[in-house]
Amino acid sequence: MTEAISAASTAEPAWQWPRAAYVHVPFCAHKCGYCDFASVAGFDHLADRYLAALDREMADHLGHPREVDTIFVGGGTPTRLAARQLSELTRILGRWLIPAPGAEWTVEANPGTLDDEKAEILAAAGVDRISLGAQSFRPESLKVLEREHGRPEVEKAVAIVRDRFPRWSLDLIFGVPGSSSADWERDLEIALEFGPSHLSCYGLVYEKGTRLWQGRERGEVLPLDEEVERAMYEHTIDRLARAGLSMYEISNFAVPGHESRHNLVYWANEAYFGFGVGAARYERGVRTVNTRDLNAYLRRIESGQPATGPTEELDAEARARETAVLMLRRIAIGLDRGDFRLRTGFDIDDLAGAAIGRYRDLGYLIDDGPRLRLGREGIFLADGILADFL
Amino acid sequence: MAFDPKFIRNFSIIAHIDHGKSTLADQLLLQSGAITNREFREQLLDDMDLERERGITIKARAVAINYVLDGQTYELNLIDTPGHVDFHYEVSRSLAACEGAILLVDATQGVQAQTVANAFLAVGGDLAIVPVLNKIDMQASRPEEVKEEILTSLGIDPSEVLAVSAKTGLGVPDVFRAIIERVPAPAGDPKAPLRALIFDSKFDDYQGVVTYVRVVDGVLRRGQKIRLMAGETEYEVTGLGRFRPREVPCDELGVGQVGYVVANIKKLSDVNIGDTITQVPGPAQVALPGYQEPVPVVFCGLFPATHNQFDDLRTALQKLSLNDSSFSFEPETSDALGFGFRCGFLGMLHMEIVQQRLERESNLSLVQTAPNVTYEILTVKGETLHISNPTRIPDPGLIEEFREPIARVNFIVPTDGIGAIMQLCEDRRGIYLKTEYLSTTRAILTYELPLAEMIYDLYDKLKSATRGYGTMDYEVIGYRAGDLCRLDILVAGQKVDALSTVVHRAHADRRGRKLVKKLRGEIERHQFEVAIQAAIGSRVIARETISALRKNVTAKCYGGDISRKRKLLEKQKEGKKRMKQVGNVEISQEAFLSVLDDSED
Repeated sequence: MTEAISAASTAEPAWQWPRAAYVHVPFCAHKCGYCDFASVAGFDHLADRYLAALDREMADHLGHPREVDTIFVGGGTPTRLAARQLSELTRILGRWLIPAPGAEWTVEANPGTLDDEKAEILAAAGVDRISLGAQSFRPESLKVLEREHGRPEVEKAVAIVRDRFPRWSLDLIFGVPGSSSADWERDLEIALEFGPSHLSCYGLVYEKGTRLWQGRERGEVLPLDEEVERAMYEHTIDRLARAGLSMYEISNFAVPGHESRHNLVYWANEAYFGFGVGAARYERGVRTVNTRDLNAYLRRIESGQPATGPTEELDAEARARETAVLMLRRIAIGLDRGDFRLRTGFDIDDLAGAAIGRYRDLGYLIDDGPRLRLGREGIFLADGILADFL
Repeated sequence: MAFDPKFIRNFSIIAHIDHGKSTLADQLLLQSGAITNREFREQLLDDMDLERERGITIKARAVAINYVLDGQTYELNLIDTPGHVDFHYEVSRSLAACEGAILLVDATQGVQAQTVANAFLAVGGDLAIVPVLNKIDMQASRPEEVKEEILTSLGIDPSEVLAVSAKTGLGVPDVFRAIIERVPAPAGDPKAPLRALIFDSKFDDYQGVVTYVRVVDGVLRRGQKIRLMAGETEYEVTGLGRFRPREVPCDELGVGQVGYVVANIKKLSDVNIGDTITQVPGPAQVALPGYQEPVPVVFCGLFPATHNQFDDLRTALQKLSLNDSSFSFEPETSDALGFGFRCGFLGMLHMEIVQQRLERESNLSLVQTAPNVTYEILTVKGETLHISNPTRIPDPGLIEEFREPIARVNFIVPTDGIGAIMQLCEDRRGIYLKTEYLSTTRAILTYELPLAEMIYDLYDKLKSATRGYGTMDYEVIGYRAGDLCRLDILVAGQKVDALSTVVHRAHADRRGRKLVKKLRGEIERHQFEVAIQAAIGSRVIARETISALRKNVTAKCYGGDISRKRKLLEKQKEGKKRMKQVGNVEISQEAFLSVLDDSED
């Protein structure tokens, strides 16, 4: 029976049946002040149980191994796991996920937690892409963000990664309280000196409930002026373009061909599996999210229950609108009218003709006939524009 | 055969809000056997949810009660009156149908503004007053002091004052006796041509308009041809009866009797409160006195929040007007708000009630413009215009004299609140008339105030200045010239007609600055800079700028973020939908309402 389902499923298009898998590893040395991911510090003793639970969850959910085009192991800090555990994690993933030829397999790593041994294990298992969370090289900014590493750790991590993995990326954050445009420009130059083929540059978000958010609420943390943030963002776009890294999503820049294929799955609103605490999945139009509580996750998986929390299934039109919003985040390719119609069954001009016309006239949207994409000013004001597609 | 008028008593209960009028009415029904104990429930006479919530009887009703005293059966007609300041005229018509009134005063709260206002109406109408203290069983009651207040404010001898508990029924038999002994029987000529006073009406889905009448002369019969004297319309009486308290049909109503008439009248607006019903042929020559056209005094624009709901709004207003003919509405077009209606109300409370009903009964989301009054304008050409929409006020150069309605306002306040109320009235261009002391702790303060200065929030301000103890009553006394001007608001260079208001010139700068500042806080930042200006004619008196949105973009949107981010954007979009478009600028409903809010900040 599972075979029959599998046959039917794999015949379905990628926006229905997953060809991508996300796996979450929640363990961290320390919880950063801006972080609102499902991450925990001081629970490393649960790592072995957690890996066993991941294995169980994948077995229960998948039934048999599935072929995928992308795997993304995120956190938390996956490389917080001991070498032995990391090795076990790759074995578990290998048991349930079969990388298709040419598949992409990314693992997130934090400078300071990656060593040669762990890198070897990952490379040997088939991991071909590392995403390094550098965030900043400026000590004051790192302190505000509560990051426990500095520039030397990033240098070391890059040295470890550079020769072992064909592709790697750095994560950076701009708009950190107390930083100036010059500070950010310097960070960006340092990052470029390392020669990454991919950069994620995020404007700092004050996520509700984080320590940084609380600080802002109490008036202890003073957010940067919007004008300064905008200048930082503009500089990023221009500087990286000159360095040959083109902006392919609102916060993502890559040498052509080095884009994160896994993340492109999200922005095409395609299906993906999700495993681990707090992981989200999207299968056949249904989104579910696992509990963010590590102990609850372990208990439920260990007792044979799914760990899922809220479920969401949108009707066809709402799904189409959501697809448009995600596709338009893709700066270079944007939304292709034919592709959109094929995937959603809707004509984008029927759904949002008025908004398209208005924003095209303002220059916020570029419409070249087959394709719609955000214009330069549209990038800075994307939320207001995209909301009109919903 | 008609009942002998000698044994009929027609009376009302007049009271301030919450002084227990409905409870006493129910108690009278209970003790006369008109209702059973099971039916004795609070506010039997109030049958609309909204009234029940507010504890206000808006629509009058009449109940016929039989009561036996010393072996003689009497017919007592209790005519209910609206209890709020906005319904002065309606109250006066209900009282005109009576020979007496129970003046009910809460023995814990004492004399209040509507107690005095309604008592004066009753005295002015030559009614016999039966003063009654209520809630006499409560710990906090202070009967002697309150009797003193009644004496001071109304000149009523304390020895005449009865004491009851409407809730428990204590003392109520004395009330029956007093009504019978003190209220005169109706006088009228049974042989004269029919004259009956219409003191209320309501719309019934099955019967059409039901009018409430009091026969003064002659006899009203089923099947009779009647004429409404002011309306100059004729009908045939198809149904006649009385409430006891449920409808009981009858064949005729004689002199002094009170009941309802059904006469195939289609619209509530075809019947005017205060009009006289007579017979045809052989009509009476002179109508009963006191008839007035209903005149709305407060106006506002009502617009559907979404532009395609104009027809729905019209349907809702029409439906509502079936039950309330005292508000008016006519189509209005606003550049900013699109198609809507300019509505007129008897007062602020009336306006609030109508709006709540609209939103509740029709599920419409409405944008309301600032309430305003009717202005009288003498143009340089010598024409006199009455304008109830600020946008229609001519340019300053065309105005010879700009007049506004003035109200005489009575405040009853604790003496320690006098200073605060005086300040309030000074700030609102009030003219002090007098202070009368009800007792050592409470006083009646009388002012003349421009009606426009009262309609936003004077009542709320009064309540907060007196910790809830102050009450007020007002009456519009006429028009007076003032140094007034129209204040316009421009958003991004475009005049927003719906935000135009009339202000006194001395207050124009302050008001203009405040308005633009307030709007700056209420209008969200746009993708471009937005200027907000206040202007009189072509002269800009205040300006604020809303800077352009420079960066508004969600940095992270990965697998686990999608639902949450989409919901955030949806919320943003929902908010936008309810906004009104002025040029390229979106203005929220709150922004429009903020123009009303006069609070200092």
